[in-house]
Amino acid sequence: MKLFKKFTVTALTAVIAVTASFAGVAAAADSLKGKITVNGSTALLPLTLQAAKEFQKLHPKVKIAASGKGSVTGPQAVKKGIADIGACDWDASMDVPGFKAFDGQVANKVAVIPFATIVNKNVGVDNLTTKQLKGIYAGKITNWKEVGGSDANIVVITRAFGSGTRVNYQAKALGGGDIVKKEKNYKETGSSGDMKTAVGTTPNAIGYIDLVYVTGGDIKAVKFNGVEANTDNVINGSYKIWAYGYYMTKGQPTGATKEFIEYVQSKKFQQGSLKKLKFIPISAMQS
Amino acid sequence: MGAPVHGLTVKAQTSLEEVKRNTKRHRRHLLGNSISRYYFLFSILALCLVLGLVIVFIGKTALLLFTRISPQDFFLSFNWTPEEDAFGAAAFIVNTLSLTALTLVIAVPISVGMAVLCAEIAPKWLKSFIRPVLDLLVGIPSIVYGYLGLTVLLPFLRRVSGEGLGDGLLAAALVLALMVLPTICRISDDAIVAVPRKYRDAAYALGSTRLQVIMRVVLPAASRGIISAVILGMTRAVGETMAVVMVIGNTPQLAKSLFAPTSVLTSNIVMQISNVEFDSTWNYSLHMMAFLLLLISFVLILIIRLLGRKRRDA
Repeated sequence: MKLFKKFTVTALTAVIAVTASFAGVAAAADSLKGKITVNGSTALLPLTLQAAKEFQKLHPKVKIAASGKGSVTGPQAVKKGIADIGACDWDASMDVPGFKAFDGQVANKVAVIPFATIVNKNVGVDNLTTKQLKGIYAGKITNWKEVGGSDANIVVITRAFGSGTRVNYQAKALGGGDIVKKEKNYKETGSSGDMKTAVGTTPNAIGYIDLVYVTGGDIKAVKFNGVEANTDNVINGSYKIWAYGYYMTKGQPTGATKEFIEYVQSKKFQQGSLKKLKFIPISAMQS
Repeated sequence: MGAPVHGLTVKAQTSLEEVKRNTKRHRRHLLGNSISRYYFLFSILALCLVLGLVIVFIGKTALLLFTRISPQDFFLSFNWTPEEDAFGAAAFIVNTLSLTALTLVIAVPISVGMAVLCAEIAPKWLKSFIRPVLDLLVGIPSIVYGYLGLTVLLPFLRRVSGEGLGDGLLAAALVLALMVLPTICRISDDAIVAVPRKYRDAAYALGSTRLQVIMRVVLPAASRGIISAVILGMTRAVGETMAVVMVIGNTPQLAKSLFAPTSVLTSNIVMQISNVEFDSTWNYSLHMMAFLLLLISFVLILIIRLLGRKRRDA
């Protein structure tokens, strides 16, 4: 009998405790509701989706819809009022080569994205300098033997104009240099996935891609000015081809949008899921 | 109906009930008919509305282009460097036409040959194997063809030609030929099967060989059907995007050789549309290209309709 009583008390306490904790969560969630639409960069999409999943768990009344098309569509969608957040691989509130600044938009840093120069596995070269890359992409260096490789024509693979990866690569790796447009061994691809396949299947090809995509045996990342492309070298400042990823908003963010951006910038997310997705926390570059 | 002998009375009795039942059924049928008629009418009108909106929207945005640049600059210039405000689409138009022509040169002889095999020569078991296989091929998503082109065809072309890249008109035409082949083959097949038996019998009776019957009698008799099959294949080739993008190289220049990386209307639109600002000349010129494609398909379909009408008249 005593045992039974004890058991009942324990069970009751447990039930009350569970109910109370659920109520507590529910009460916290009630304070925040709304709908957030995110559009823009495909490079940032995995990060946005993961953050949205976690954020909606904390605040079940917030609905987040995220889609990716291309960097410039982010700030454009914000300008048109289609999206609350425009994910963009460059700071769209300032002029960059080819794109004017989007007036009245605020750039919120959310991640650091490293980029890598990649070549097909048959290419013997494993280091390229800024000057050599500039020459290759401007169409002045057309044979691998000019940069220390075997005697073979260089096949240049690039992303379409307006791609965030291209904007950043041009600014950081080519020092703002031009990319040739009409050439025999020159090809444009539409996405990071296409870039990886094209470089992997084309002998003597060179291209560039987000560092997170550099896996598998058909492509390899080359050193840039003697520095290996990896996250450690980005953080210690020796590897220069990287950029901040931004969430563009119309004016300062408010309400649920503000909370969401703050969640993505929070230490918990930056050190947890963001690192797991192989992005680099923004705090690593600012310290 | 009652028996003929004491028919009158029996018939009168039953017919009263029957008439009642029949009118009820008749009314039900009428109601059903009119509901389905309105439903179909609604469906057709809705479809027309959507189609109309597409044409009006694309056309409107496209024609805005000519408030910014002149038609000559767009249609006659080969210089497409939108970053520097040069919007000449002539290279894409010429490339689209030559790609379609090259595709048909490769695909038509093979597919018509296969259709003849299917309809005239093959034993029954082979027919019942080839036809379902072709039907299956039509259903494969085009991006799969493109991916195979990128990973299988391009390395092969590189080995054969000694080129560094291999991308270009030939690669795209080969991929497209494979894609339109089932369409052309199956429709030509149907056209050949529809040629009346008596034509062949008559020709054989006159002492023709099988080759003579096929070349001189069956193919000419089925020619209209075969031509509409070719045009249908052509509309598919003109509008195909995903497979082409993966193997053509996407470089905006006129294709001077079969292996030069180049670009056609569809591939250029899909590569650039997502990175272009909304109210820019660039955006308008991409819409103009889409409108051109629409016009091309429209003309091709008109030709099919005209051919069909002539065949009925003949």
